Amino acid sequence: MKYKQHIFLFIAILIATISTGQEKDQGNSIGLLTSQTEFEVGSTVLLQFSSAEAVTPLLYCSNSYGSTVITPVLEETTLHYEIPDFIANKSGLVHWKLIHNNPTSGSFVMSPQKNVTTMETYIGPPTIEAGDIDYTMLVVIPTDSLDNPMPEGTPVMVDHRFLDTQTEEEIETKKIIGYKNISSRRKSGRLFIAAECLETHSTEYTVDVLPAIPTDFTISADRPHEYADGNQITSFYTSILRDAHDNIVSDGTFVTFFIRNKAGNVLKTSGTTVQGIATAKMIHPDQEEQWTVQAYVDGMAESNTISIAYQQVVKNVEIAFAKANREIQVGPLKSFMNQMIPDGFQVVLEVYKDNVLLETYTKTSRKGYVSFGLEEAIFKNDTYTLTIKTAGLEKNLPNIKLW
Amino acid sequence: MNRNILRSILIISYMIIIAVIIGGISSLYSYLNTGADRASILHTEIKKIDQYIPDVDWAPLYNEGRPMDQETLERIENNYLDAWYVKQIAYKTNTTSGIEDYYTENARKNLYNTIAHNTEEGVVVEATTLEHHPTLEFFSEDGQLVVITDHGVVEYKRLYKDEVLILETTETATYKIVLLLEDGFWRIRHMVKEYQEVYTEKERFDTLKDISVKGINYYPQATPWDMFGDGFDPEILSKDFQMIKDAGLESIRIFVQYDDFGKANVQEDKLQKLKQTLDLAERHNLKVMVTLFDFYGDYAVLDWTLNRRHAATIVSSLKEHPALYAWDIKNEPNLDFESRGEKQVNAWLQMMTSFVKNIDPDHPVTIGWSNAESAIILKDHVDVVSFHFYEDLDTLEDVYLYLKEEIPSKPIVLSEFGMSSYKGIWNPFGNSENDQATYHKEIQGIIAKHKIPSMSWTLYDFVEIPKEVVGRLPWQKNNQKQFGFINKNGDEKAAFKYISGE
Repeated sequence: MKYKQHIFLFIAILIATISTGQEKDQGNSIGLLTSQTEFEVGSTVLLQFSSAEAVTPLLYCSNSYGSTVITPVLEETTLHYEIPDFIANKSGLVHWKLIHNNPTSGSFVMSPQKNVTTMETYIGPPTIEAGDIDYTMLVVIPTDSLDNPMPEGTPVMVDHRFLDTQTEEEIETKKIIGYKNISSRRKSGRLFIAAECLETHSTEYTVDVLPAIPTDFTISADRPHEYADGNQITSFYTSILRDAHDNIVSDGTFVTFFIRNKAGNVLKTSGTTVQGIATAKMIHPDQEEQWTVQAYVDGMAESNTISIAYQQVVKNVEIAFAKANREIQVGPLKSFMNQMIPDGFQVVLEVYKDNVLLETYTKTSRKGYVSFGLEEAIFKNDTYTLTIKTAGLEKNLPNIKLW
Repeated sequence: MNRNILRSILIISYMIIIAVIIGGISSLYSYLNTGADRASILHTEIKKIDQYIPDVDWAPLYNEGRPMDQETLERIENNYLDAWYVKQIAYKTNTTSGIEDYYTENARKNLYNTIAHNTEEGVVVEATTLEHHPTLEFFSEDGQLVVITDHGVVEYKRLYKDEVLILETTETATYKIVLLLEDGFWRIRHMVKEYQEVYTEKERFDTLKDISVKGINYYPQATPWDMFGDGFDPEILSKDFQMIKDAGLESIRIFVQYDDFGKANVQEDKLQKLKQTLDLAERHNLKVMVTLFDFYGDYAVLDWTLNRRHAATIVSSLKEHPALYAWDIKNEPNLDFESRGEKQVNAWLQMMTSFVKNIDPDHPVTIGWSNAESAIILKDHVDVVSFHFYEDLDTLEDVYLYLKEEIPSKPIVLSEFGMSSYKGIWNPFGNSENDQATYHKEIQGIIAKHKIPSMSWTLYDFVEIPKEVVGRLPWQKNNQKQFGFINKNGDEKAAFKYISGE
């Protein structure tokens, strides 16, 4: 009897523990009802949980950009969590966790919309060099209407036109972006580039294919006459500067002309190209000269060497004195047809006393003559040595007495 | 005679008044002439301040597109981390300042939306990232666009709703990020989270059951709480270490102050002094328990990356040292529970414990709790549990047995105990040197009976105690001065006999 009682008691306790255990279990568990784990962005995402208790635990939620907490709506035994727009509108993994003493957690994926609304296109560099080496790169980020990048492997058509040839190629997005290298051609010109993804087209992009660096060239000179009259101007011209692929180099390419004279001194003149030709000028020398000329595009190309000869025009220098020898007149200075030399021809007078240079006067001619005046206040009455220099000639006048 | 005195008093007072007036006017004049240094108008000098320095570990560069150079990569990294930093600040304060510098116009909307929602809901997110493992996927030919995949971003987050902490979580996530170079800033254009899991700590030291420690907390007598300052003297240390060894002790516990060592930028000279200290300990056959983060008390989430850099520098440069015995993450952190919040402090300790364990897998890590109740808190995270005991000796046995029962699988160290022999105007009923000797005799008995690994406080009586240690109150300061086994004149006190045993 007692034995039976024991068994009965034991079973009763057992049943009681099991049932209370179950109750407790039910009370604590909040089960996820929503089975969908992938949603398209922009759709309403509702997570539903079954709940036996009348509790409304918060839901922690974190996506690509941030984290937040969502308050549920309890309808009978179902908890509704509506994922707010700023999370439901962004693609990527969303992780959630119920803030409850029996925490449940999980995640779902927000996938981008199926159509492309914007094509974010980046192209660079905007200018490239002609030839087969340089290239520009097109980077495309196709995004949906909610600014989410397309999934990996989305096809993008890249069109580009150069002169008369148009090419179309397909690339695929990879790691959010799609990219294509577009090589330059041998000719210079303009590349037109456009992309298309799921029937959305980008705007037009242009890349300039600029000529490459110039190759060696030739030069020529042009002058009104061959005399060294210190008045006329000699012009130097380059041939048309071209790159290795026969493209005329860009306008404004800087060319420097080096002129070496008989004495080994260097004169320099320069010009920039227009349609491939650079022009530079230099005034004629005033005495017989032999110029050697070569042009350079610094660090890139050089020309051949040409030489130009100039003939002497002033053959002799006549000198006349007046006013107690204090006025010295040089001239007439005659040119190649015995005409008076054009104004501006340089004459130098040097005054020496006992081989010491006292003063130098430089004057230019006017109507074939130059006259110097020696002031009484500067040069006391005495004998001086005078030297006249012009057109490479030198005349020495010793023991000139001033009074 | 009287008139003369009167006259001189008048003249002197007149002179004083004049002096005061002139002094006043001149100081007013000079005050009005002071102003900002003119050079400062130009902001010519911009100092880089470390605000956010999680571990960044770039994968080898095999990117598509243009080859990357180190300088650009560094700029990208700095801007990318700044982007994370301004985001953390924005979510912590629910304000938007700084975001436009590091997110493009389209991307910043996403942050603004989150902030708006969180403001409305009263949600505040305190977060930091501790690790980044970026791979450079792509660098565009014109150098204006990069794509990176940031693997294994360890993010610690703490969420508050209506100022109540509702969630703490550490997650590992993978992001794909597109950055554009705009106005000289690398700005985030797209960010897509691709993967996330709950961060799991690696476990280790499953075999560490028993250890034996017989040691002492050590500061040089002349420079307590300033061991690595200008007063650092290897000769004194050498002498002291010899004395400790001769007294029958085997180890010392020393302290590294966070600010003193230069916070995130650990000063090389301080580190050298610390190394030298360990070298000397090695020479005298002593083991050293190094206590980190002394005098640090912020625990703010955004400080974490700086704390980790500090710890990483010290731990990695000492982890091979033969004299190193263990790392004590922080001395008595439970004293900050009230001012900083228990959960906040514990979260920091847990993070730091796991971080130090990762850098140095070979040395045990502990936390020097100030009492036995707190010692249970992170028992699963530390390798060795340690506690301090300054209460009535009669309870020590019970306290130790209680801890043993609570934590049967890990060694328990009594890493501070002692008694002050201060008796004076601030504490007329204090303990005498004989009381102190009796205390040490008794406690050594208990220690021997239960084989408690232990370290006493401390070798010396000190003359000066910095206010950071026990505050400014004279009775606390004076009390703290006389915990030593050796008095301020350098003589052994009665307790010295029991420094290492009964």
